[in-house]
Amino acid sequence: MSSAVQLFFDAASLGGIYAMAALGIALIFGVMNLVNFAHGEYIAFCVFALIVPSTEAVAVMFLGKAPAILLIPILLAIGGAAAVASEYVVFRHMRKATPVAMMISSFALGFIIQNALLAVYGGRPKAISLWPDLNTPIALAGAQLPLLQLIVILTTLVVVCALALLLKKTRLGLEMRAAAENFTMARLLGVRANVVITGAFALSGALAAAVALIMATQTGVADVRMGGQIMLVAFIATVIGGLGSLPGAVAAGFLIGAASILLQGFLPLEVRPFRDAFLYTLVIICLLARPQGLFVPSSAKPRI
Amino acid sequence: MMGKHAQNKALAYSTPLVLIAILALFAGLVTLTGDKALARMAAETLIRVVLVVGLWIFVGNSGIVSFGHAGYMAIGAYCSAWLTLKPQMKSLFLPDLPPWLAQAEWPVLPAAIASGLLAALIALISGAAILRLSGIAASIATFAFLAIVNTVYSNWEGVTGATSSVVGLARYVDQWVALGWAAAAILAANLYANSASGLALRATREDEVAASASGINMYRHRLLSLVISGFFTGVSGALLGHSIGVLNPDSFYLGITFISLAMLVVGGIGSLSGAVVGVLGLSLLIETLVRLEHGVSIGATSVTLPSGAQEILIGIVMILVLILRPSGLMAGKDLQLPRLGKTLQQKQTTTN
Amino acid sequence: MSKLGVFDVSVRYGKVPALTDVTLHLEEGERVFISGPNGAGKSSLLGAISGAVATSHGRIEMDGDLLTGRSPEAIARLGLSMVPEGREIFGSLSVDENLRVGTGLRRDRNAVEGDIAEIYDAFPILGERRNASAGALSGGQQQMLAIGRALMTNPKLMMVDEPSLGLAPKIVDQVYDTLVQLQEDRGLTLLIVEQSSTRAARVGGRMILLRSGSVVGDGNAADFAETDLLSEAYFGKSNQEVAQ
Repeated sequence: MSSAVQLFFDAASLGGIYAMAALGIALIFGVMNLVNFAHGEYIAFCVFALIVPSTEAVAVMFLGKAPAILLIPILLAIGGAAAVASEYVVFRHMRKATPVAMMISSFALGFIIQNALLAVYGGRPKAISLWPDLNTPIALAGAQLPLLQLIVILTTLVVVCALALLLKKTRLGLEMRAAAENFTMARLLGVRANVVITGAFALSGALAAAVALIMATQTGVADVRMGGQIMLVAFIATVIGGLGSLPGAVAAGFLIGAASILLQGFLPLEVRPFRDAFLYTLVIICLLARPQGLFVPSSAKPRI
Repeated sequence: MMGKHAQNKALAYSTPLVLIAILALFAGLVTLTGDKALARMAAETLIRVVLVVGLWIFVGNSGIVSFGHAGYMAIGAYCSAWLTLKPQMKSLFLPDLPPWLAQAEWPVLPAAIASGLLAALIALISGAAILRLSGIAASIATFAFLAIVNTVYSNWEGVTGATSSVVGLARYVDQWVALGWAAAAILAANLYANSASGLALRATREDEVAASASGINMYRHRLLSLVISGFFTGVSGALLGHSIGVLNPDSFYLGITFISLAMLVVGGIGSLSGAVVGVLGLSLLIETLVRLEHGVSIGATSVTLPSGAQEILIGIVMILVLILRPSGLMAGKDLQLPRLGKTLQQKQTTTN
Repeated sequence: MSKLGVFDVSVRYGKVPALTDVTLHLEEGERVFISGPNGAGKSSLLGAISGAVATSHGRIEMDGDLLTGRSPEAIARLGLSMVPEGREIFGSLSVDENLRVGTGLRRDRNAVEGDIAEIYDAFPILGERRNASAGALSGGQQQMLAIGRALMTNPKLMMVDEPSLGLAPKIVDQVYDTLVQLQEDRGLTLLIVEQSSTRAARVGGRMILLRSGSVVGDGNAADFAETDLLSEAYFGKSNQEVAQ
């Protein structure tokens, strides 16, 4: 019984991270049909923003020293600013490009950010300790849970609800939803393309920062390669959820988290190192079964 | 007198000759300098030609961006290692190989061909599933495929050596061997592009709906191009292994995916010449940057680029090309005999 | 100064010309129909005016402001609104949200609620279904919504592309009644693409004929129904002579 509770919390907290990362990608795709491969690097960038730039193996906290009440808004702003800057420098000049060209340039941008981090911080993963107290286990329903897992799950819920409210209740949200459906028509009604796109990038970057905070606390490691791993999973969640569908991205993020934890728990010991291979095979099967996404009605017209 | 159509067709077949001549000239010039480092650079460049031309056979004709080709490369590279390494080494480092493979000691050329064939077979199997998808979903699925290959090869301790490198590969690939394979890849790519299947596939790239309405079986043509593409990509992996002598799963992951796509995009996805020009252009840039990273003295001052500058600059070049010249340096045009030296071709596009 | 001035405007898609040196003027409060066969350049003209399609030559002015080179949203902010062909309502948004998309550009934010109430008065069915998803409306209701949505930007000039497309004749009557009524109430200038000259003649107004990207006729809509100009526009003069 207690191990079932444990599995549930593991799946929900991992899925929460994936869901938030996938949301960041789906937001941008919805508004401008851009598959933003640089998103994972926004996350890595935010993690490294916590520590003092150096190639030493042990990280010295920089922003990470600030009290949470300051740190959280500052890091969210940094993530948002990084994403907005990348739009301003790269994607703004590609408004008329094909989705494929934009996708490849985002891949290049991600590569640039990753190598910039590598040049400044070195390639070795660094141990960091952000809010270590959150990893102390607490007992709940017979399972030992790190407080952080609960916080991750709650944070995900709060973020998803806040985003839903923002999209539903604010002027920017209305314009973003209209633009996601028909950008030209929205512009003909006076909706400013730059405002909507900048807004989407700012939100997406802030989501990346939230993921960065959680991952930094949970793993205690800053690794230049962390962006690539989470980006791949988040992408897959976005595609499985139905590209551009925000609820789909969240649902698929949780689904992949759950599948990943279940495979980890129930695969025979000798094939367990190959867990990700099983996971990605499942993904391809999912795509084949429902190319338009798991959580999109099959009548919906494909977006691409 | 030849009809205009026949003339165009003949011109289309002159493209590979022009490209191969350029590459041969490049290899020859480098050999003449007698510089060992330059020769190694030339071999690496020509191996990249095999890789990028292989990639182009699929991406250029189908219009689907593949992030999975580094996977076929890894498959080819390890296959050649299994077939050519000394049995004693294999029993030591790769103890779980099946007995026939552990005893195998093939000559290098059949091993390279077998590596290509294995990659082509995996391309057939993976493509049979992935190519049922279209557009961005297909691209993401190729990414998933790459992750699968990387996970398997990074963890299959007794067969691939997992993350510890496989060493001791015969380093037989010099610029001439690589040139031979590059020529073969270019010829095959040109033959395929001008075949009925290649032409039909490019029609689907322009307009999926219209092409399928006209009865083109997109899936079959895509699969065929992926299999041919997989073969040469696999061979390029084998060549790379036998050029540097060491294999590691992570040398066939995101880094090489990025570089090969960058070369294809910078040169121009639309034409075979674009693929070759992209490799030559970016390889030249990489070589310059690598030298700058080691430090170059110009007069009294010495210039040293920080490490990582190479990748960053290539990324910047790629983005600039995408912004300023979205269809690449060659913009879908091909180098052909009578026009070379004048403008690089105005109207007779063979692949567009 | 005319309300809308189009001077020597050309539009081309790649090498294919869609409009060639088109010049036309609309006066304040006028109702002008654009007619002509398929491919005559009607939608390209509207696209060029609204900023959705780039012009290759010429200039367009509204109230003396240069529209050429501005983005669609900037032009919308100058007081031009569009009811596009096929309506293009936001199907995933509610009826109410559709009406509000275009209110972001307005300075008189407090007048918005009143205007929405007015739209619901004019189109009671929209009021009844204000919280329904717009994609669930019938074709005629979607046309009403598209008109209402365009009005919510508080335009000075409204362009309507083929309002009768795909609608039953009875519904088309209703749509035109509403448009005429709105124009009278608000002093709007209207530019309407309408294939049917008899329909245009019945509604009344000026009519401009396009053929192969050029203006070939300009006059009272009622007169067109009786002259050969229309068939000329559709079939070309030479064909007509051959036929006679």
